[in-house]
Amino acid sequence: MSLKYAFFPGCIIPTKYPHFESATRAVASALGIELVDLSFGCCPPVSNMKLVHYDSWLALAARNLSLAEEAGLNILTTCTGCVSTLKEANYIMKEKSNRRRKVNRILSRVGRQYTGAIQVKHLLDVLHDDVGVESIDEKRLFDLNLRVACHYGCHLFRPSYVMYPESLSPSHSYVPTAMDNLVEAAGGTAVNMMRRFLCCGYPLAASVDEESSYEILREKLQYIRKARADLILVACASCFEQFELGQVMIKKTHKEEYQLPTLYLSQLIGLILGIDPKVLGLREHIFKVKKLLDRMTERRSKAQVSV
Amino acid sequence: MTVQRVWTLFDRSQLYECYECSRCSGSCPVALSLKGLGPRKILLKCLQQGQEAVIEDPMLWYCTTCQVCEDRCPQRIPIPELLTGLKNMASRKGNLPEKIRFSVEKIAKTGRSVLAFRVERERERYGLPPLPEVNTEEISRILAETGFFRDLAAIDEKP
Repeated sequence: MSLKYAFFPGCIIPTKYPHFESATRAVASALGIELVDLSFGCCPPVSNMKLVHYDSWLALAARNLSLAEEAGLNILTTCTGCVSTLKEANYIMKEKSNRRRKVNRILSRVGRQYTGAIQVKHLLDVLHDDVGVESIDEKRLFDLNLRVACHYGCHLFRPSYVMYPESLSPSHSYVPTAMDNLVEAAGGTAVNMMRRFLCCGYPLAASVDEESSYEILREKLQYIRKARADLILVACASCFEQFELGQVMIKKTHKEEYQLPTLYLSQLIGLILGIDPKVLGLREHIFKVKKLLDRMTERRSKAQVSV
Repeated sequence: MTVQRVWTLFDRSQLYECYECSRCSGSCPVALSLKGLGPRKILLKCLQQGQEAVIEDPMLWYCTTCQVCEDRCPQRIPIPELLTGLKNMASRKGNLPEKIRFSVEKIAKTGRSVLAFRVERERERYGLPPLPEVNTEEISRILAETGFFRDLAAIDEKP
């Protein structure tokens, strides 16, 4: 399987969290993934453009897809908002022929066409499926020895008939396990907490009501603390912002402290692969991970590890 | 823009599939903190008062787009599609949050949803290549064809 992808970092990570991008590039290099930079525009987001002007949302998403088609590459994205937009647009353009005709008519005015030739994957799926959990397990240098609360977020896998159609149960449901599998293979413990698939609340903060979004977050944090997690793992920069800033705000308003550090996916994978924490940008975090790093040990020999 | 547009995204007959089990609002993160809100209320309002009443209501935007409602609905009503249609129509009438309007206008103008201000220095610090150029002309052309600029301008013309 070719590990060459068109890299779609989105808008937030390259501008607000460039260390997530550098962590991703370092992890890609260590795992033999080739990332090609194309001049993509904003995806555009399901939390604003899709809700204001649906036709524009679909046309701009199809434009981005056509760019990747031109290069003959599948898309790898580090953002759950982007994966939601691009996967859903791909699905709609394939399933709804009248929308496809309409959008292609618009795209032809700028010399583009959508043909449905490529797939869109989030970094999590590239790591778990394309590279493979076993391959990462073989290449890692450290045992995590930490209890991790895996927060998948919402846009990564809902609605499941669009995002993971080939993995549905007979009753059309889908429960994501990729992050938990990676954590376990990394020598960590993926904790099971109540309401693990509850939204972090970020889109509410970004649009109408910050205060209420932190109430939603508080519910999550209380269950995560109850499960005695050491840190939170996210696959989304918005979730990351909500967990970091939210804890600061909750301390101010409710006088409650959780002291839970949050890691973005490629930072955690980078740590166990032995990539320099400076490249991973761990110093940028509000809730420091440094004390947790002392708990990591060198990987036990292959003979002792049961995969 | 006629109000019928909601129904191009969501099949109207599906409204009648709802038997008010409230599983949607029971899972809704917004209903968690703001009691009394949730998708069930919006769906019933659509049935009882019609979509005109719903698209005037600013509480329509109290939604995190998490899409759990659809996941949990025993009748498999695609509630997020209904909400997307309603929010689109609400936007045409000027009922949209300021932050969201600001974001979409930024995308139309710069091709990105975030202002790339003093970003190159940080990127250089992490050894990253500069941000690629976005073809803003192409994006503007597409948005002219979809009627984006026309529809947004129409919001401000309303009395």
